[in-house]
Amino acid sequence: MHYSPALSFSQPTSLPTTNYAFHSHVDLRFCGLRRQPSGFSFSTHSASTRVSLSTPARGHSNKISASSGNNGTPKSFDYDLIIIGAGVGGHGAALHAVEKGLKTAIIEGDVVGGTCVNRGCVPSKALLAVSGRMRELQNEHHMKALGLQVSAAGYDRQAVADHANNLASKIRSNLTNSMKALGVDILTGFGTIVGPQKVKYGKVGFTDTTVTAKDIIIATGSVPFVPKGIEVDGKTVITSDHALKLEFVPDWVAIVGSGYIGLEFSDVYTALGSEVTFIEALDQLMPGFDPEIGKLAQRVLINPRKIDYHTGVFATKITPARDGKPVIIELTDAKTKEHKDTLEVDAALIATGRAPFTNGLGLENINVATQRGFVPVDGRMRVIDANGNLVPHLYCIGDANGKMMLAHAASAQGISVVEQVTGRDHVLNHPSVPAACFTHPEISMVGLTEPQAREKAEKEGFEVSIAKTSFKANTKALAENEGEGLAKLIYNPDNGEILGVHIFGLHAADLIHEASNAMALGTRIQDIKFAVHAHPTLSEVLDELFKSAKVKAPASTSSPVSEPVSA
Amino acid sequence: MQTELVAQQFLVFSAAPSPIPLLYSLHPAILHSPLKSFAFFCCPQFLTSIPPPSKKMDSPFLSNTTLSFSSSFSSSPLPHLFPSVSFSPVRFKSTQRRILTVRSKIREIFMPALSSTMTEGKIVSWVKSEGDVLSKGESVVVVESDKADMDVETFYDGILAAIVVGEGETAPVGAAIGILAETEDEIAEAKAKATSKPGASTPSAPAPTAASTPAHPKSTPANAAQTVAEGRRKTVVTPYAKKLAKQHKVDIESVVGTGPYGRITPEDIVAAAGISPSKTNEGPAVVVEARPAAPTKATVVSSAPPILPPPVPGSTTVPFTTMQAAVSKNMVESLSVPTFRVGYPVTTDALDALYEKVKPKGVTMTALLAKAAAMALVQHPVVNSSCKDGKSFTYNSNVNIAVAVAINGGLITPVLQDADKLDLYLLSQKWKELVEKARAKQLQPQEYNSGTFTLSNLGMFGVDKFDAILPPGQGGIMAVGASKPTVVADADGFFSVKKKMLVNVTADHRIIYGADLAAFLQTFSKIVENPESLTL
Repeated sequence: MHYSPALSFSQPTSLPTTNYAFHSHVDLRFCGLRRQPSGFSFSTHSASTRVSLSTPARGHSNKISASSGNNGTPKSFDYDLIIIGAGVGGHGAALHAVEKGLKTAIIEGDVVGGTCVNRGCVPSKALLAVSGRMRELQNEHHMKALGLQVSAAGYDRQAVADHANNLASKIRSNLTNSMKALGVDILTGFGTIVGPQKVKYGKVGFTDTTVTAKDIIIATGSVPFVPKGIEVDGKTVITSDHALKLEFVPDWVAIVGSGYIGLEFSDVYTALGSEVTFIEALDQLMPGFDPEIGKLAQRVLINPRKIDYHTGVFATKITPARDGKPVIIELTDAKTKEHKDTLEVDAALIATGRAPFTNGLGLENINVATQRGFVPVDGRMRVIDANGNLVPHLYCIGDANGKMMLAHAASAQGISVVEQVTGRDHVLNHPSVPAACFTHPEISMVGLTEPQAREKAEKEGFEVSIAKTSFKANTKALAENEGEGLAKLIYNPDNGEILGVHIFGLHAADLIHEASNAMALGTRIQDIKFAVHAHPTLSEVLDELFKSAKVKAPASTSSPVSEPVSA
Repeated sequence: MQTELVAQQFLVFSAAPSPIPLLYSLHPAILHSPLKSFAFFCCPQFLTSIPPPSKKMDSPFLSNTTLSFSSSFSSSPLPHLFPSVSFSPVRFKSTQRRILTVRSKIREIFMPALSSTMTEGKIVSWVKSEGDVLSKGESVVVVESDKADMDVETFYDGILAAIVVGEGETAPVGAAIGILAETEDEIAEAKAKATSKPGASTPSAPAPTAASTPAHPKSTPANAAQTVAEGRRKTVVTPYAKKLAKQHKVDIESVVGTGPYGRITPEDIVAAAGISPSKTNEGPAVVVEARPAAPTKATVVSSAPPILPPPVPGSTTVPFTTMQAAVSKNMVESLSVPTFRVGYPVTTDALDALYEKVKPKGVTMTALLAKAAAMALVQHPVVNSSCKDGKSFTYNSNVNIAVAVAINGGLITPVLQDADKLDLYLLSQKWKELVEKARAKQLQPQEYNSGTFTLSNLGMFGVDKFDAILPPGQGGIMAVGASKPTVVADADGFFSVKKKMLVNVTADHRIIYGADLAAFLQTFSKIVENPESLTL
């Protein structure tokens, strides 16, 4: 199944080979502990090669029987499903598996919650909540317009850091408790696949335990990617892992990579008083966004802030501050490969994307070769071995497969896998998975960018139209004195299909779901435009957007929203 | 009313340090005034198309350029009479011929000065985009000053060839923010001009403005302006320092960095530019964790304020409102001007008698005093002048009396424009309007920042004399005390009781000397003592 994801984080095989260009593709960490994925698309694809389970009910017996699709001989397993990695993807899969009656175990070698909860989206949201308020309190013009007077806003670094840490702990315990409550066995240790349907786990220095499961999901996630030449010391040259602890707020921080991680951290750091220098390997900042949104975002998020940038350069060497010297960054021209400049800053944050965490998984035991570290999978997350064949009963979801490096995408993929192993074919509709960047204001998107849509339309021979609405026209946004923003709809004017929606503005991340759900459910513009939105709300931005689209097809008569509702 | 509008228009333009071929929508009346095109000058290409001067439609000012407008205007008195529809008035004699040679049909759109305190403006949005055809009177761009957002209109037909300063960016007052081409053929040329001329450039033609900011704009392409220019010598400049340097046209090479590792910090640029630290977007104060037990740790990181006495227990700190901040800024600024004071007793019996007579007609004491001061200023133009740059006198052709008014938690100086020309009744009416507007905070910038002389009256409180601080940009301020019955002895030794009022003028001694002020006060005193002329 071909799709062009909105953010060009397509198949890992398409990744350029230079270490830096890398981040523009995989620098995508969004989080949302969404239990339900947004997109389901059903196909009639036969699951003949896979196990078909006849009985949904699965008692509590330790040994259960199931038929193997390959050899047809009955076999006992410790579990129906073992998930390696208790991040958001593994958690989503586990919960759904329990709901489907599977006896489930989850193996975690570190802390429950994975990157998202412990070192990613969750603590970063805490920092961004602080930065958003700081930004607002410091904006004299904004406060004055609201009639408020605030004397110099200040912050206590340690208290801010504690807030982020406390949030992570809270979410982590929520996650753990939710799994325990449902009867998911949490097995502690690093999981390794030792053979088909067989996993061993254990802590370093202890004897391993081997368990068997009818199906195995790899959900080991990713770690920050650090290009070679960069020396991370965890103090002045750091990755997002360190930055989220907010151990210090440098006066001047260089952020390598202007993707989502970089953008969000620039929001945090500038709100806390730092100056920021972006280092971007591509020719423009924020590649991957719809160009129009990117332009607006740059105008609001970069230009007026204490930020400058170097584009088209690699940070080929970064030396941490030591011996009375600042952090030194060597910049090399991305095209000519010539030395371009040397920067001296107080700290450098490496936000060049994330690399899959698949070492030590024992993939060699089942003849699977990773590609740049990613586990190769098909559209149904089934693992493909070195010979191009599907590995039975083995799936890989989330960052480890690199399809779409988003927490909620991982969770959705996990749910999709559980659907498949419980007898219902399911393919996740990746283009309907939304993404968001939690700057102030936020950026969100689903589906194709305008250039991608135009390219697709050219190839497939359909028309593309664009509709736009401004937050300036929205009552609620104006009441908040936050009229800066744009929503953009890319659609097919003939049939009303939504190809992509991009929002930049107040609470954009929360607003995108109306569009992503419509895309996932195949709702057309001519139908959704009759849906009613409470007034005055920000959601009317999307209401306006749908209403301003000019679709030739008539509204479908059976549209549920047009049915009269009796009181 | 017409003359008044014209006066306002003029003031708008004279306030700008450089020619601005745009009129801002400061006052609806201006825009709807039939005279509005008066404000527009300088269409060189009109030269060929101007019909032979006719009696009625003689518009010689059309052939003038923006460049000479302010200077020639200020040297000629403001015309008193403007026919309501056709305009005949201002003639620019000497400058015409010189300007005839200017042929370019490409104009720069400048960052307008929307208030006297505005040094730079932010482009909120471009209403028009590159390539749009503009016609006279259309809004082109929305500019945010330190006070408000305002639409800026064009009074030229043409094509917006290039936007030099993008949305959200700031540019100093007078810098080109866009390029206007007359025809499509010139767009390419205009664009070339735009790229060769980043936002921070000064007008290319010899400008007569007094603006003498140290301009060393680096000619980097506008889009690359924020990326670091490669330098042979390694100068480390922080991102914000770079932005500030660009805004304030500070040559980075000339700045010595005082930050860590010798880097140039925003503070260095601020110091080099000689500006007071900007009030917005400063980094937040890091609240240093209180560690009373560890006094050895020097934890003060940021630029600490001078040692302040510990706050008195129970005190509250209330931040300045914007108006209070503006007052504070102006007051501190006034310290850079060498001032002196001259006091004068004025007998007010005649004035009081007149006041009783005209009071039923709505005339206020403020209007009487303003009128008297204005009439005296006409005779002593030096007292109505100001010193803008420390090197020259700027003679104001209008007598605009600013009157200090205390309004709820603030202080503002509504301006009675052309107080010498308006009659007492109009002046009183005008004053009433201004006070109402001031209370409603609806004063337009030119209604409070165009004063050439200030009047401050505390007499109603029984204050007998006081000392006023000279507002920046003006030559003098008059502090008026209460009028009190005083026993006076005349030359023959006869005692009598006269009402005497002490006035005390503070003036800028760089331009106004003791004798000037004394002579002015003498004239003022005579006018007050023989107030009949006030009602003329």
